[in-house]
Amino acid sequence: MKLELRRIHIKDIQLGNETAVKDGVLTVNAEELINLLKEDERIKDVKIDVARPGEKTRIIPVKDVIEPRVKIEGKGKGFPGVTSKMEQAGEGKVNVLYGAAVVTVGDIVGFQEGVIDMWGEGAKWTPFSKTYNLVVDITPVEGLQPHIHEETVRLAGLKAAEYVGEAGRDVEPDEVLVYEMGSHAEESKKYPDLPKVVYVEMLISQGLLHDGYVYGVNTQQILPTLLHPNEEIDGAVISGNCVAACDKITTYQHQNNSVILDLYEQHGKTINFLGVILTPELTTLDGKFRTCDYTAKLCKMLGADGVIVSEEGYGNPDSDLLMICKRLENAGIKTVLITDECSGWDGMSQPLADTTKEAVAVVSTGNVSHVVTLEPADKVIGDDKAIATLAGGWEGCLEEDGSMKCELNAVIGSTSEIGYHYCTAKLY
Amino acid sequence: MDKSLNYKIVTNNPRVKENYKEVIFIDGSFEDVLLRVRDLVHKGYELISHPLGASIRVIFSPYRSIIIGKKLNEINETHVEIIESSIQSYRNLMQRRKPDTKNSEDYAFIDNELLKSSLEEFRRIYIN
Repeated sequence: MKLELRRIHIKDIQLGNETAVKDGVLTVNAEELINLLKEDERIKDVKIDVARPGEKTRIIPVKDVIEPRVKIEGKGKGFPGVTSKMEQAGEGKVNVLYGAAVVTVGDIVGFQEGVIDMWGEGAKWTPFSKTYNLVVDITPVEGLQPHIHEETVRLAGLKAAEYVGEAGRDVEPDEVLVYEMGSHAEESKKYPDLPKVVYVEMLISQGLLHDGYVYGVNTQQILPTLLHPNEEIDGAVISGNCVAACDKITTYQHQNNSVILDLYEQHGKTINFLGVILTPELTTLDGKFRTCDYTAKLCKMLGADGVIVSEEGYGNPDSDLLMICKRLENAGIKTVLITDECSGWDGMSQPLADTTKEAVAVVSTGNVSHVVTLEPADKVIGDDKAIATLAGGWEGCLEEDGSMKCELNAVIGSTSEIGYHYCTAKLY
Repeated sequence: MDKSLNYKIVTNNPRVKENYKEVIFIDGSFEDVLLRVRDLVHKGYELISHPLGASIRVIFSPYRSIIIGKKLNEINETHVEIIESSIQSYRNLMQRRKPDTKNSEDYAFIDNELLKSSLEEFRRIYIN
């Protein structure tokens, strides 16, 4: 399977009369986009805005972030099985508006958080303060059930990203990245002496606002499944998780999954990368046992020497993470876990909801309880009420000058458990 | 629903109390729900759903519903470990935070939705 990601570097977004890319500037015809999105009768109103790096702008509550792209060669337009006819993703040529992002906001329930600050302290913690963001704020018609509301906003974001991505169809890319990998037999023949490594990507799969999708299938309904890494970075996996702001994997992060890209980088050099196992994080204990047994079995059948497991969320998924680790280590497979920590304001509490002695190699992506101070914004895109939720965590979190303290868990992507962020670990 | 399934929902969520018959209603907090589940698991009741949610935000919820199963002949030690470590994590997390009561109604709604998904998952595993 061979995929070319052809990056067109975007240096600004403007709203204008046409949707086009010229000299790295993406212009978007907001009216045309709004009309397109309003073809969905469930949408009453759409507001389009732009947030640029450095501006004193706050976006809240963020639902998803999506990278605008267009497939110019090969099967599977957009997000197959979701916004377009089902095709297998992972092959062909894709033009990417690199540096641009579509950000959807919409308050489906009152307690949603998820903030992107484009400047100052907040900007340090979220990777989406560095992208030029086209913010799509969707108001649904009245009386829509929350799960329909969630679906409406999810689909609108994907459609908007497809519409914007189309602007890059005929533009020459600034750089071309090639991702190519053959069958296990072929790759093992090429690299007989390199250790075989599998990536297990766990996804929250638990119900409203806590879902993930592969080719449009809700991952609550799947057994762990093997993907070619190209499928995920070509739009096969999308996010329906809108509660865990700091460690949810947005669609953008699936499209640019840093674990996959880093493993690809090492493929043929230090490792033989065998692929991705997508593993649902279920809610029942028997569901978890089944999933973890099945994941370990797939790794064993593939002949993995090593496995990297990334988590999504905190709480009950910690149990899955450690059960998978235990099963793999006991089968003689070296296992590295990637997770964030919930270790209190001072960082001294036990970081995970569960422990196991087999977890001997763990990469921390940050402490979700770390407190940061966000300055007042000049402009807020989205819903002011959500700021009240953000600022309502404890007494004294709102300062007189309007700045507020919040825990990192409110900041989008701040402790990304696939490492798509800016925290690094320091050894003492 | 689920005549062949033997389960009870330990909950402090009034919405769940209204919607389901198989309820052990706790007139108390999220932590009180965890403590009752712990007592029942120590008495031999099977733990069906994980005591904690999947995100920090949901752990700030004032409401929680947890599914337990039938009483077993022996105490399940894995289940004991899970409920005990969940209580410890909950207390750790809530050291400085209070449950988010401003959004109680939405939390009651989401707890009910997540419970519904959990029961569907439970049914898929046991009935299919």
